[in-house]
Amino acid sequence: MKDRRERVDITRVDDELTRRELLRRAALGTIVLVYGSTGAKTAVAGVPKYRHKELAGTLRIIQWSHFVPAYDKWFDDVYVKRWGQANDTEVRVDHVNLAELPSRAASEVAAQRGHDLFQFLSPPAAYEDRVIALNDVVQQVERKVGKIGRVGRKSTYNPRTKKYFGFADNYVPDPVHYRADLWGEVGLRPTSWDNVLRAAPRLKSMGNPVGIGMSNELDSNMALIALLQCFGAYIQNADARITIKSKGTRDALNFMRDLYRRGMTSEVFAWTAASNNDAFLAGRLSLALNAISIARSAEQRNLRFNRDIRILPIPDGPGPRMGLEHVMGVYVIWRFAQNKRAAKKFLVDIGTQYTGHFLNSYFYNFPAFPGSVKNIPARLRRNTTYPNEVPGRYPILDRISKNWTTNVGHPGYSNAAIDEVFNKFIIPQMFARVARGDMTADEAMRAAHREMTPIFRKWRSRKKI
Amino acid sequence: MATRRETLTSWLIITPFAIVLAFPFYWMLMTALRADNDLYDIEQVPFKFNADSPTLNNFRFLFEQTDYRQWLENTALIGGAVVLITLALALPAGYALARLSGGWGQTLGVAIFLTYLVPPTLLFLPLSRVVSELNLHDRLWSLILVYPSFTVPFSIWLLMGFFKTIPPELEDAALVDGASRLTTLVRVVFPLSIPGILTVVIFTFSLVVNEFVYAITFISVTEQKTISAGVPTELIRGDVFYWGALMAATLIPAIPLALLYNVFLNRFIAGFTGGAFR
Repeated sequence: MKDRRERVDITRVDDELTRRELLRRAALGTIVLVYGSTGAKTAVAGVPKYRHKELAGTLRIIQWSHFVPAYDKWFDDVYVKRWGQANDTEVRVDHVNLAELPSRAASEVAAQRGHDLFQFLSPPAAYEDRVIALNDVVQQVERKVGKIGRVGRKSTYNPRTKKYFGFADNYVPDPVHYRADLWGEVGLRPTSWDNVLRAAPRLKSMGNPVGIGMSNELDSNMALIALLQCFGAYIQNADARITIKSKGTRDALNFMRDLYRRGMTSEVFAWTAASNNDAFLAGRLSLALNAISIARSAEQRNLRFNRDIRILPIPDGPGPRMGLEHVMGVYVIWRFAQNKRAAKKFLVDIGTQYTGHFLNSYFYNFPAFPGSVKNIPARLRRNTTYPNEVPGRYPILDRISKNWTTNVGHPGYSNAAIDEVFNKFIIPQMFARVARGDMTADEAMRAAHREMTPIFRKWRSRKKI
Repeated sequence: MATRRETLTSWLIITPFAIVLAFPFYWMLMTALRADNDLYDIEQVPFKFNADSPTLNNFRFLFEQTDYRQWLENTALIGGAVVLITLALALPAGYALARLSGGWGQTLGVAIFLTYLVPPTLLFLPLSRVVSELNLHDRLWSLILVYPSFTVPFSIWLLMGFFKTIPPELEDAALVDGASRLTTLVRVVFPLSIPGILTVVIFTFSLVVNEFVYAITFISVTEQKTISAGVPTELIRGDVFYWGALMAATLIPAIPLALLYNVFLNRFIAGFTGGAFR
């Protein structure tokens, strides 16, 4: 049927503007501005499914400011807008610095109000009673793309309560970054911890020490728990019993003490999560354990040693070669969330189709459901559009993510006790005490055990482990 | 001769302090003017520039690719509102405690000041509940409501000391001449208290600009953030810090505040030391 409505020529310019017309336009403009700034709920990007219709629901999401700014831009302006249009929901995404996530979560729980979806960057098992179980969401995604990966499952499932307290959409491999030019002069590669220890004195004397943090921050936690694993030592066993007092822990502590004395500097005791990145990018470090943000930043800045940066799996040790995820993206839905239905639908969709997230994060986010991104090795072999990307640098990430990455709390689950041990930085403190010479390895190990005991007892009494 | 020696001694004492205190500003400026690559060239930092520096790119990035301008406006708006609320509450309260409450005034003043010492890291959880009940989450009003909880106690304590330095005889004279207590307050006491009031204004505004915990927990919408919450959110991305833009973002509000302090320095000192000898 032909549209008989009068067409408005927006290119027409009226030469004469009367006072009445001016007032009319001003009033109209004011209404548009007020409406637009306060109440308009129509999304603006993508092909609108519900054209000219106010979207029915609202979904509020909070997550970190991703280290790749382009990912946030894509997520907020493209992915989320399209999803909102397709699901008749206005989606609002807020971002905070990763260090502020815990306080923000505590604030929302205290207020019983906040976002429908809250993304943590480590498994938030301690919040199990504050969130709804997501077993149905995981099952729906599994029906579509296959089983959830081991790292994702062990980071979000509580075998005691049989609940998924969170939904893992991604995890980030945590490889070793090293300078091939500097290590080449020593004639070694950091393929084993023994090699790291042997090369460290020479590297330090060259002005390029090894950089593994021992302070209260994420990277130190990850690197040192991974080091423990490489010496066959673990915080807990598969039954959530503390196992930190072990020969493996003693050996790892003594190893780190030696490594610190021979090849590191005291600044590692005061590092923040950014310090190893900064020191490496400034050309000072010869080795660091970190997600690929180091390599990507070097590419972005086209640093003179960009092509000398190499990525390897965690070095081999006396125990099994096993690193950790660097960041574990876990969404939860609070019990008080206003729009649980939309939140669940959002999770099902993000878990099912993760290719866009994998590519737009420039290989930073790996899918927690392996089947949600097809043919990862081939995609890693192809270069992205990232500036100055070094060809062949990233294919190793596939093997690292599959073979040498596990959850915090391995061989057990990332339970509430592990969450608390992790967030109280007991492991970095244990290592720092020995490296500084404040305690012997045995003393530090016993002190850590004493700190962990009431934590595990508390969560066991609450029937969470 | 003695004067020259005194001047020299003063300079010898002041110069190191001045260098130490000015160094952060120098560092901020130098970092803000550096290109990203230059920043990571430890041969050049902190005194020399590479070929592509100095540059205004960090400032451009700040204003063109973040909501920095909006955060500045929000901070100014909240700062102005909190200053007004603080003055409205602290002036009469400080005066009342200084003049009208006898021995209890001092005790109450100290008690009120003690509430200032409770850290925001403890208070933000219960205050979250309050903000939520009032439906103020993610709105500038949440901060306008909460900030006076720490600016008012300090200002009352500060003004109390200042009011005590004003001779009561002046007020008595005005009262004898037929002025009411309010008129005395407005026409006699407040004009004499300008240094104290200015101190409260500057101090309150600085506290608002610097406050972080409430700003980050009560507001998560980017456009509603203040500088202290918006800058670390947008310019610290995971473990990557945008140092140049961070320093530029810090420098911009620091300059007017520093100028404000300098312009009113004498009055500021008078405001803080007003009650010291009474």
